[in-house]
Amino acid sequence: MTRRRLALVGAVLLVAACVERLAAPANCPDFCPSGQITIVDTLLTSSIHRDSSYRGYVLAYQSALMLAAHLPGATDTLDGRPIFRINGYGARIPADTSAGAILGADSARLQLYVVRRDSATRNLRLQLYRLPITIDTGTTFGTLVPPFTDSLVRTINIDTLLAQPGRKDTVTGDSVVVDSLNRRLLLSLKLDTAAARYITTDSGTVSYGIRIAADTLASIAFGKDGFGPSLQWYLRLDSLGTTVARKPGALGARLASFVFAPPPAPIDSTLAVGGVPSAHSLLRVAFPKVIRDSSQIIRATLYLVPAVPARGAPPDSFVIEARNVLADFGAKSPIDLLLGDSAMIHPGATDTVKIEVTNLLQQWAADSTRPTLLLLRPEREAQTLGEIRFYPSVATAFRPTLQITFVRRFPFGAP
Amino acid sequence: MTHRTGWTIAVLLVGPALTGGAIAAAQDSQFGIRGLGTPGRWESVRSRSTGGAFGPFDPLSPLMEAPLADLGQLTATAAGYTSNRDVVVGGTTTPLRTTRFPLMGVAGPVAPRLVVAVGFTTYLDRSWDVILRDSLMLRGVLERYTDAIASDGSVADVRFAAASRLSRRIAIGAGLHFLAGSTRMTAERRFDDSTFARVQQSAEVRYDGFGLSGSVLIGVAPGLSIAAWARSDNRLRAKVADTTSAVTDLPRMAGGGILFAPSPNARVAASVAWRAWSRAGAGAFDTWNWSAGMEFGPRRMPIRLGARGGQMPFGPGTTAPTEAAGSLGTGRAFAQGRALIDVGLERLERRGGGLTERVWTVLVGLTVRP
Repeated sequence: MTRRRLALVGAVLLVAACVERLAAPANCPDFCPSGQITIVDTLLTSSIHRDSSYRGYVLAYQSALMLAAHLPGATDTLDGRPIFRINGYGARIPADTSAGAILGADSARLQLYVVRRDSATRNLRLQLYRLPITIDTGTTFGTLVPPFTDSLVRTINIDTLLAQPGRKDTVTGDSVVVDSLNRRLLLSLKLDTAAARYITTDSGTVSYGIRIAADTLASIAFGKDGFGPSLQWYLRLDSLGTTVARKPGALGARLASFVFAPPPAPIDSTLAVGGVPSAHSLLRVAFPKVIRDSSQIIRATLYLVPAVPARGAPPDSFVIEARNVLADFGAKSPIDLLLGDSAMIHPGATDTVKIEVTNLLQQWAADSTRPTLLLLRPEREAQTLGEIRFYPSVATAFRPTLQITFVRRFPFGAP
Repeated sequence: MTHRTGWTIAVLLVGPALTGGAIAAAQDSQFGIRGLGTPGRWESVRSRSTGGAFGPFDPLSPLMEAPLADLGQLTATAAGYTSNRDVVVGGTTTPLRTTRFPLMGVAGPVAPRLVVAVGFTTYLDRSWDVILRDSLMLRGVLERYTDAIASDGSVADVRFAAASRLSRRIAIGAGLHFLAGSTRMTAERRFDDSTFARVQQSAEVRYDGFGLSGSVLIGVAPGLSIAAWARSDNRLRAKVADTTSAVTDLPRMAGGGILFAPSPNARVAASVAWRAWSRAGAGAFDTWNWSAGMEFGPRRMPIRLGARGGQMPFGPGTTAPTEAAGSLGTGRAFAQGRALIDVGLERLERRGGGLTERVWTVLVGLTVRP
């Protein structure tokens, strides 16, 4: 028994003895290693070259949102108008054998999701216009000027609707549901017979457009696809000479897009990022070998000087991001989605934009097969009207620059 | 146990050291950070318990080869130390703790009048870890950071030795020393400002060198022996990724001792050693070290006492740091003397450059004679 106890005590002592504790505060230079961590900070003013911009990556109809804006500016008005088309059932309701031809519509209920809005916006008003059913992905702002002038269907004041008891307007039949978690509004608008005309010769297809107005900051976004416009028809059908009512399933938009004015300025020598259709810029970097081969990058910052104030709706600040590419194929360079760095752009601002690109350059240093090319693009393509243009490398005084802080190789093995 | 079995056990004990797989280190010190490292103590637990005074006469201490000549049978030994060290600098005390296995060896006669030995001991300990808090101007802003620079490893002295008793009075020995080892070094910097990425670099530094040594043991009179030894190492080459990063000259050294045994139950000894560490470059000093000790009582379970003092080879300033220590210990033989366990306790103090180290070290040694 005594031997066992002794063995146990011995084992405990052995385990306790094997705990190492070596870390001590340094008392430099007398009791520090001779080698020190050496940090170098360098500004690469002429290493970015052969930069270029390309537009057309995401078009308005490909955007995840429908943008609506009405923002008078000094020289022009930024005007964005969502448009959508909802195809009808045709002359009959499919699979409904208990009734005959569709005679017309009693009414309809249009549902719209407002997925982005500025809570500071006051007196926000929606104007619903009937548009030609021929609208498509190629429809422009100019071609819709007439219907947006003379085909007003409804006007809805969202602030007034939100102020109603139960957020329901008993007079118009409109209502709104506030999803505070997702910061969404679900508008349910009642359209009467005149506003919702089921024309069987058009197969019941209807198109609408929206203009918005507000006292300030009139810029919002409507959802698409799962959160896109939907129309619930209340139809009258013929049933052996008798008119019967039917409420078929709601229909979603087959086309959801937006038109806007003024159109984006053409690509020029500046580096454009953002806008609709979205623009990307490519910056090719002559990455110094001394940094790539024998050092560790601890911070890298890309400096970009705006050539003009950033465009866009003032409440819609947008994010641009810098990414690496997998291969340099110019405008069609495949983007590395693994790592990205970003910066917030405020419309109207002209401050120098700084993007911390440390991890991107660390990837260059770690993998010498990577093209040393930075791609600038909006984080959410074509989801804002914002666009920024930077001075290119040919503008010597304002060219893009990279500031890199790196650590030289520690002198391991030196006495 | 047969002679062959004994050698097999011995090879199993020592083999890892020869292939570089062993962990070899000795007590480390802040004084070794700036220089090549902290020199190891080439002493068994028995010798160290006497302050090192018995080192020149102890066949199991790898200081001298000549005492091996009196080893009558195959013997293997190993030692382990645990140190609790208080580092006092600028009024701040930092407690540190290390455990090391700095000694392993096997020796035995291979022919009449010829004994050979192989083993390893620590030549330089290079295990340390310093943490530094400082700041620098970076991009026009004062950035505060914490550095942690660490080294973990050592340079081992792999010794092949032979000794022969030429006469009743004289024994001689010689040894070949292969210095080998590696350290895993890391340098890390963390900025308070997280926009700067953490600096982390590491490398494995490999070391090699070569040395020769010789020694003589003379019985002057019954119960009175003197010993002398000398050693020369060429240089220590440090390589990082097969590229030589440093070549440092290593010291020549010499020493001697005297042992007086007035009776079978009492032995006293003293020794001195000189090492020309100044060859290693700036910040290195030649050192003198002395020790005195005694062992009394029956050989089955003796009591050992000792003291030592001297200088450390690396330190700041113009004079070498000093060290002084007192030690005591005992041993116990088992199985008719075929197994011995030695234990010891050492109190050490080092001073220099405004830094003081106070160390308690517990020593445990095991010797097997199969």
